[in-house]
Amino acid sequence: MEIKIMKNILDRNQNKADEVRNLLKEKNVVMVNIISSPGAGKTTLLERTCEVLKNTFRIGVIEGDITTDRDAIRLKKYDIPIVLINTEGGCHLDSHSISKVLPEFELENLDIIFIENVGNLICPSQFDLGENFKLALVSVAEGDDKPVKYPMLFREARLVLLNKIDLLPYTNFSFDNFYADLQQINPKIPLFQISCTNGSGIEQWLKWISAQIHSKSNHTA
Amino acid sequence: MHEIRIAQDMQKIILEVASEENLNKINTVNVQFGEMVHIVPDIFCFAFEEASRNSLSEGAELNIEIIPVKIRCINCLKEYEISREGRFECINCGSVEIEIIRGKELLIKSIEGE
Repeated sequence: MEIKIMKNILDRNQNKADEVRNLLKEKNVVMVNIISSPGAGKTTLLERTCEVLKNTFRIGVIEGDITTDRDAIRLKKYDIPIVLINTEGGCHLDSHSISKVLPEFELENLDIIFIENVGNLICPSQFDLGENFKLALVSVAEGDDKPVKYPMLFREARLVLLNKIDLLPYTNFSFDNFYADLQQINPKIPLFQISCTNGSGIEQWLKWISAQIHSKSNHTA
Repeated sequence: MHEIRIAQDMQKIILEVASEENLNKINTVNVQFGEMVHIVPDIFCFAFEEASRNSLSEGAELNIEIIPVKIRCINCLKEYEISREGRFECINCGSVEIEIIRGKELLIKSIEGE
């Protein structure tokens, strides 16, 4: 006997993500899901961002980490609310884990929540967390082939940040190849070249994210 | 590694349906995965074996159908398949306003049991 089901396997995750999205819309909070490989510079980007924007916006951070609280500790100095989720080996965050920790924030007193997802380019792009948008962060040290290898992320993200451009002279990273591949997958996506180490390009990123926070009506997956 | 979690979620759905339909044994599970979602069939089969251990679906045959990526141009409405590394730009009118209409599936189609 064959029983038709025709159901999205991640339905449960999707439903919870929709719930989270509705709640944040109601509370007028923007949520950004930062996805990158391990070591691409997510925490350093957040350091650079919080350093400047904490004077303008009310920021919260959800730190997804396989284990340890090292990333969360690095952000403590900014005196902003941080919630740590240890996935204990899990390779991505899901919407249930986000929903569970949201009550730890005073959402009425926040403009934006940055989620630092677990370092991984594949799994996190499958799980909607209820964010307004995904941010793809890649670094020069990883090589220029990331867009073509992980098209789902680069297709779904709203912005790509290419970090560690101060290392360009020391690697065989071809910016032309990287850009051509990105254009092939997502010709409309903005790309900023940054270095969280020497601060280059950071201003452009801060301007862009500030504009996103200002246009809070932009609530889409 | 997301195969493990997806197999676990699928197992929950299967068991719910099996219980509603009063099945005692699940023999076959039919799924569709889009090319964009990066499921490695061998890893998924292994993950399903683990997730179904000591349950009604233990030992069930798993049929995985991989769905190619299909896009639709919002401008001229042309629909066509592209490879996963293909260009997301309309081959007909050159527009970049395109949507992915197939290839992102993580779908459980049906189960067979008794």
